[in-house]
Amino acid sequence: MTNEAQTTKARGFIGVLTRLDRRWIFLAMGLSIAVPILLKLRFPEYPGPMAKATFNAIEAVPEGSTILISFDYDPASAAELQPMASALVHHCASRRLKMVFTALWPLGKQQADRTIETVLKPFHPEYKEGVDYVQLGFQAGNEGVIKLLATNLPKQYPNDASGEAIENLPLLEGVEDLGAFKLIASVSAGYPGAKEWVLYGNGAMPDAFSVVAGSTGVQVGQLLPYYPQQLEGILVAVKGAAEYETLVEEKYPAPDSTVIGQGRVRMGPQLVAHLLMIGLIILGNVAMIAGRPRGGAR
Amino acid sequence: MNDQAGNETTDRRPAPRRHTLLWISLAALGVSICVLRVAAAAQTGDASAAEAARSLWQTVGIWVAALMTLGIFSFLFKDNPLYKVCESILIGVSAAYWMVYAFWSTLVPQLFAKLSPTLVREHVMPSLAISATPTQDFLLSLVPLVLGGMLLWRLAPKGQWISVWPIAMIIGVTAGLRITSALESDFLAQIAATMKPLVAFTSSVDAAGVEIRSFDFWGSVSGVVGVVGVLSVLTYFLFSVEHKGAVGKTARLGIWFLMITFGGAFGLTVMGRITLLAQRFEFLFREWLGIA
Repeated sequence: MTNEAQTTKARGFIGVLTRLDRRWIFLAMGLSIAVPILLKLRFPEYPGPMAKATFNAIEAVPEGSTILISFDYDPASAAELQPMASALVHHCASRRLKMVFTALWPLGKQQADRTIETVLKPFHPEYKEGVDYVQLGFQAGNEGVIKLLATNLPKQYPNDASGEAIENLPLLEGVEDLGAFKLIASVSAGYPGAKEWVLYGNGAMPDAFSVVAGSTGVQVGQLLPYYPQQLEGILVAVKGAAEYETLVEEKYPAPDSTVIGQGRVRMGPQLVAHLLMIGLIILGNVAMIAGRPRGGAR
Repeated sequence: MNDQAGNETTDRRPAPRRHTLLWISLAALGVSICVLRVAAAAQTGDASAAEAARSLWQTVGIWVAALMTLGIFSFLFKDNPLYKVCESILIGVSAAYWMVYAFWSTLVPQLFAKLSPTLVREHVMPSLAISATPTQDFLLSLVPLVLGGMLLWRLAPKGQWISVWPIAMIIGVTAGLRITSALESDFLAQIAATMKPLVAFTSSVDAAGVEIRSFDFWGSVSGVVGVVGVLSVLTYFLFSVEHKGAVGKTARLGIWFLMITFGGAFGLTVMGRITLLAQRFEFLFREWLGIA
């Protein structure tokens, strides 16, 4: 093949790239996610330092201690956060920690209910409501809720979510403020969430408890400055959830890996979609550079 | 058929458009899969358990959710009426949901329950706790009631300045709440966290109980990158000095740090969006079609 013919062919290929209808890219992206789901592709996960730090922070809490888990997200972020919330509750229950569930987001209470129904009750039937766990539910007020919890928990939550007065709940007997908890975990999609727990919870009682967070990818940039001093551990998006699930599964295997394993399932499509994106970025740059007029203005 | 000039013409009815055919085909495919699934379950006598337990309303809900998902996805092909319908339903339902939720989670327990606890307990919230200080609660709840009314004055044709006062109070209270914690957690604690050792060591204890200190290469790299990154980015935002010479080069380095940060943030955002799409596909394949 002559040089001229090769150049013509390359121009033809570059021409196809530059004129490519973007809907083909949408289709390719859709397939790159759909096919791994249908084929149930799973890849090994190697836990990173932040997932390990989160795991270790929970491991460091003495057995039988009370912790607070705040569900600060709604169904719009559940794809990223529900896997880590499920793994977190399973991990804490496996360590026999007593859990108090709260929510700074209105629909966080429903997410906590869902986690109780799908993780706590089937995997840990020995857990009794009011004794081993309490669902306090949502309270309006954003960071104001945390401020008041730091000084007077019964005033902020006179009842649990089912309407039972908290003085009738053995788990919350004698609990006056956040100082009663050994650890606070916020599964957070934005404001109010993990950042507020650091500012108003940890800020008010720096030495009383550890704070760990699970965060969406979009929000995690705001939380990274607090790690590791003010936040002992962070689970970063679905990747963090998958790493954390791996650590939890290794030590505390769950009876049903479809519940404590959603993060790892979603990492299959992630890998293929990311490879596609990298390929498309390279192709796009090749097309742009090859399409520049030689010797012309740039 | 011939026209007046004697030329042969075809039927002038508009031909069905390609994308209409595409959507009809996709819908037919979806329905076929579901029919096949039900038929297969009935044939094997395995229709009990999961299939039978699924109520009619659950099925309707799954179908509505699936069709809405496909309707929103259809925008990727082309803007179309189905997408517009799905988008409008989403916005309308969200707005209505939030309004109702705010009423029942904020106004009823935080305001009406304090203004008239007996009425609320009898008709709305039987589990409402009996307050030890009902008169004080009543008087205190008048403050948000009045301020709320003043805020709504914004909608009145006259006297809109009245709404400025509650807004001023909201801003003042928020600033007051945040300033101390921001100073402690976002300022002082962050400065302390930046003061990292540039040469880091790790320590361990050997079998004889003697402490051994060893050079921590990656800890040192992390410390240097952290300190250099903070200083160079701060230099970039130092606008009172012209960015020339050493200051200019440091600011240039700061730009690199910022760009890497933005790249990382964008990558994390992409990861989040891919997860959302994966979850929707999981729903379509598992809940709706039952094929994964």
